[in-house]
Amino acid sequence: MDYKFKKVKTAAQSLKNPKRLKKDGLSILKAPELKSLYLEIPKQTGSDRAAFGKEVNILKDELKTLADQALSTDETISPIDVSAPFDINTSSDKRPRLLSNDEGSKHPLMTELEVVREIFQDMGFVSIETRQIDDEYHMFDSLNFPTGHPARDDYDTFITKEGLVAPAHASIMQNRNLKKYRSNLDKGQPISVVYSGRSFRNEDVDARHDHTFYQVEIMYVDKNIHTGNLIATFKTFLERYYSQSIDVKTQPFYFPFTEPSFELALSCPFCKKKGCNICSYSGWIELLGMGMIHPNVLKMGGVDPSVYTGFAGGLGLERLVMMKYGIEDIRHFESAKLEFLRQFR
Amino acid sequence: MKVSLNWIKKYVDIGLDVVELSEIIGSQLGAIETVENLGIRYEGIVIAKVVSCQPHPNADKLKICLIDDGRQNKSVERNSDGLIQVACGAPNVHAGMMVAWIAPGAKIPSSFPKAPITMEVKDIRGIKSNGMLASAKELAVSEDHRGLLEVDQGEPGDLFSKVYELDDYVIDIENKMFTHRPDCFGLLGVAREIAGIINKPFHSKDWYLKVLDEVFESSDTLSIKVDNQIPELVPRFMAVAISGVSVNSSPVIVRSYLSRVGVRPINNVVDATNYAMVVTAQPLHAYDYDRLKALDNSDEANLNVRLSKDQEHIKLLGGKEVEIPKGTIVIASSTQAIGVGGVMGGESTQVDNQTKNIVLECANFDMYTIRQTAMIMGLFTDAVTRFTKGQSPLQNDRDLAFTIKKIQKFAGGEVASQLVDLHGDLPKNRTLTIESKFINSRLGITLNTAAIAQILKNVEFEVEIKGDSIDVTAPFWRTDIAIPEDIVEEVGRLHGYDNLPISLPVRSIIPVPKNKDLELHSSLRQLLSGSGANEALTYSFVHGDLFSKVGQNKDLAFQLTNAISPDLHYYRLNLLPSLLEKVNMNLRADIVRSEDNEFALYEINKVFNKVEKDDEELPLERYDLGLVFAADAKTTKRKYSGSPYFLAKNYLKTIISAKNLDYYSVGFEPLTANDAESNPWLNELSKMFEPKRSAIIRGLNGQIYGIVGEFNSGLERQLKLPDFCAGFEIDNRLFRDNPANPKYEAMPNFPKVEQDISLKSPKKNSYSKVYDAVWSALNELKPVNTLPVLEPIDIFEPDDHKENIHISLRLWISAFDRTLKAEEVNKLLDDVAAQVKDKLGVERISSSDTP
Repeated sequence: MDYKFKKVKTAAQSLKNPKRLKKDGLSILKAPELKSLYLEIPKQTGSDRAAFGKEVNILKDELKTLADQALSTDETISPIDVSAPFDINTSSDKRPRLLSNDEGSKHPLMTELEVVREIFQDMGFVSIETRQIDDEYHMFDSLNFPTGHPARDDYDTFITKEGLVAPAHASIMQNRNLKKYRSNLDKGQPISVVYSGRSFRNEDVDARHDHTFYQVEIMYVDKNIHTGNLIATFKTFLERYYSQSIDVKTQPFYFPFTEPSFELALSCPFCKKKGCNICSYSGWIELLGMGMIHPNVLKMGGVDPSVYTGFAGGLGLERLVMMKYGIEDIRHFESAKLEFLRQFR
Repeated sequence: MKVSLNWIKKYVDIGLDVVELSEIIGSQLGAIETVENLGIRYEGIVIAKVVSCQPHPNADKLKICLIDDGRQNKSVERNSDGLIQVACGAPNVHAGMMVAWIAPGAKIPSSFPKAPITMEVKDIRGIKSNGMLASAKELAVSEDHRGLLEVDQGEPGDLFSKVYELDDYVIDIENKMFTHRPDCFGLLGVAREIAGIINKPFHSKDWYLKVLDEVFESSDTLSIKVDNQIPELVPRFMAVAISGVSVNSSPVIVRSYLSRVGVRPINNVVDATNYAMVVTAQPLHAYDYDRLKALDNSDEANLNVRLSKDQEHIKLLGGKEVEIPKGTIVIASSTQAIGVGGVMGGESTQVDNQTKNIVLECANFDMYTIRQTAMIMGLFTDAVTRFTKGQSPLQNDRDLAFTIKKIQKFAGGEVASQLVDLHGDLPKNRTLTIESKFINSRLGITLNTAAIAQILKNVEFEVEIKGDSIDVTAPFWRTDIAIPEDIVEEVGRLHGYDNLPISLPVRSIIPVPKNKDLELHSSLRQLLSGSGANEALTYSFVHGDLFSKVGQNKDLAFQLTNAISPDLHYYRLNLLPSLLEKVNMNLRADIVRSEDNEFALYEINKVFNKVEKDDEELPLERYDLGLVFAADAKTTKRKYSGSPYFLAKNYLKTIISAKNLDYYSVGFEPLTANDAESNPWLNELSKMFEPKRSAIIRGLNGQIYGIVGEFNSGLERQLKLPDFCAGFEIDNRLFRDNPANPKYEAMPNFPKVEQDISLKSPKKNSYSKVYDAVWSALNELKPVNTLPVLEPIDIFEPDDHKENIHISLRLWISAFDRTLKAEEVNKLLDDVAAQVKDKLGVERISSSDTP
């Protein structure tokens, strides 16, 4: 029950504390907070009086139910010795055992994430995780989205009451990575990071779109890094991932935080470009977004763009897994349905 | 952004078919959403002349027309004069009219692309009708469905598509691609890019490169006064009055072109402004001069550019009355707002058939302010799309002149006022000096300076080569060019990213550090799934009701302000509620499984609350492992007795001991003894558990890392959990803070002696207290050079003495240097029993006392 009157709400919060309910039992109905609420009723004016009185009565009824529950709980449940390895008076054949190994399963997204991350780790990228709650600075400002810039509209971002955001892309880590690893550059080492985790978009959910999804992104900064390095890095990744040679082609795109920006399509590894339903009979699959890191982004991360250049790019994990297994609906992933989960042993 | 191929061809000679063109647009300009073949819509539609028009004998509103199609159609039935009979209900049909005839077998263009309708020979109330005569709407020329489209070009028998250039393709390029390209929201911009890609020098039309000053022959017939009070938000405002326009429909071809790129034809004046917008991306607006004057009862038209005041209202074009948010850019007469600047005009000064004189506005607005207005008012017009990309204020005069000429062509009229052009300092074309080395090093190519210069010149950059470096001056419409990297992008894209040589970055072989947390999660997954548990993922957001169902305080959870679905209103405080919510569904699910209906569901993920912060002063993202075990009543009866707490604990024990934590040193203490109050995460977690049947988990370092146990009965009822259900949630820092301590014991080669010891203990002693006492006594009193192992066999509460508990333990002991004698072990156990009796009041009983 959501109480509208602040006084009732405050009293309800303190009275409905489960520990207190357990301790006081039915005597909670005589608690001073409740009494003073009854005294408040006549002080209310106009139509408020009836509404206020009604809420106090609802609270009283609610407390009675809760106290009843708390008491019945106490009587029927006997304490156990939590330090013991098994319960008292149990025959050895009925003591708890773990389930059989062949009931177990790992989530396909997590399994695939490990595979993808591991390839990048093998290629020399440090692996970290992205945040699930962040500020506007890392979501937009540090990525060269000026305040009020229309490019922000393309990211349907969830916002909390405090003005924090549910990150809409993994790129929220770029500024952090630059700051954390820029000392590498002084030592003649590149900044090379793979970062992955949940991203969120406030959009309608259907078989192909969910508001929650996983992104894997990499960034690489050093002297003399160019666009050809970027394409080669992802081509190499794809060839390792699919264990076959892959052709790639680009499509210009716009991200405020990379310049140039583009999407990379790969030759369909399932039909070898012959055309199949996975690639919609085009022979190509558009999978990755990437670009050369914008000098403003480097600058904000404390890296001198006149000395160093770098690239960043990433992909969505769900798409990869859906193509691999032929999963038809993205909503299965977070459904926690055993029938789905147990197929991934 | 819809692009008509025929329209583009007016500016650039392409020489590619639509498939090739789509290919290069996709790879070098931006992603294409759709390519539509317009020509197929118009197959079999020809221009015809209505020769005669008689009332239908059996229907008041229908007429029987005989039409002349130039005898082009070979399969239709004709009368002796070679004319074709068609029934028509349009009010404007008359003899002598030129119309578009959709012959039997042809399709109605407006029914594309969803479900094309094919025309047939039909009997209409006893009269045979061959196909139909079409309205502008049916022909997808405009929305007009009041009567037949009056064809204004061509001869009977001409193909409609030929006359109106409808053998066309419409390529829809994703708007997102052009967020930074104001010029590409005009067809001139797209044409220029295509020229650049196919390596052809592009030449903009003269009127765009040079202002047609002669158009602005000033006159004083009509008087207009403009006051721009906000030059910082409206950098340029141009206006001019035109008298004597005759407002009507635009020529069919103009309407057709506007329609195919998604702009609705209105009338010849408005269409002229939209035509200019489609070509150059500059929105313009026309006001009815006389209506504007009348609003103020004045003898001149007043335009005030200002911010809106409190509670100002406007009736927008289309008739919707809205309140204008305070601080919005408005165009106003002296008395009232007549338009939301850069967004939408108002109805009070709209141009329609009565209009004689107009004021034409061509202005530049601050993109951020326009975006904000569009968001607040929910108005996303074509003008908004273009102004929010940052149009150049240098194109206003060119566009104004161009539009005036178009208006004069479509609707007549003459410039009738002074030209108003209010602006401060206008931006200058930017010149960047770039070395070709800079461009080459960022793209990994070796283009010479001349080749780079040519690429840029093709799209009308001014280029001056100075040895190895180039002075590049961006044309005025390229407001996006600001830094050398912008030129790199330009060269890379027009050269073609797919043509870049590729190579992997080169670096030293120094190993990169591993991420311990991720490795931990990976091994936890391995262990749990290998122990029959199922890994789940659930959303980080939960419904507000879930907090009350599990008894948690939702005020501690971050609330999303803009989530549409109530399922996503809050960030979760713990993992367990999300998992518990899935238990009932999975127990009831109709799925193939073994005899046992039971499962262990777990998730490794982050949880949040408003109280705890991290080093960045952002909310602490705590990484938890949550697991829930559940079995239905039948399975429980067959397999288990006692509390499910012990099953959940078993899972926890498995991962803790596998991580080489000293499991026996991790404390399981009754929940009531916890100090959760100070920690919101633990406190909220504790609310879910039954205090008498759950335990806090204390690390070696004394800190509490989670809770394991049964859930309280209120929660069980709310989430419809089965009786046999328990779980745990731990903070994964348990493992990091209590580092692994791998142990190894050498194995004696001499035989082990096995002996049981049964103890009667007062209930106040916990099992672990008794076990620990026995274990430490054993180690203290054992013979030298021996290794004991002690395991529990039974815990038993006698029916007659409820105050006591019987604990049976089994000892295996062996020596490293000899075979132990039974007497030695008997004595050891006697001594151990004596010591624990002193310590805990525990008595040894003979094993026959245990069942």
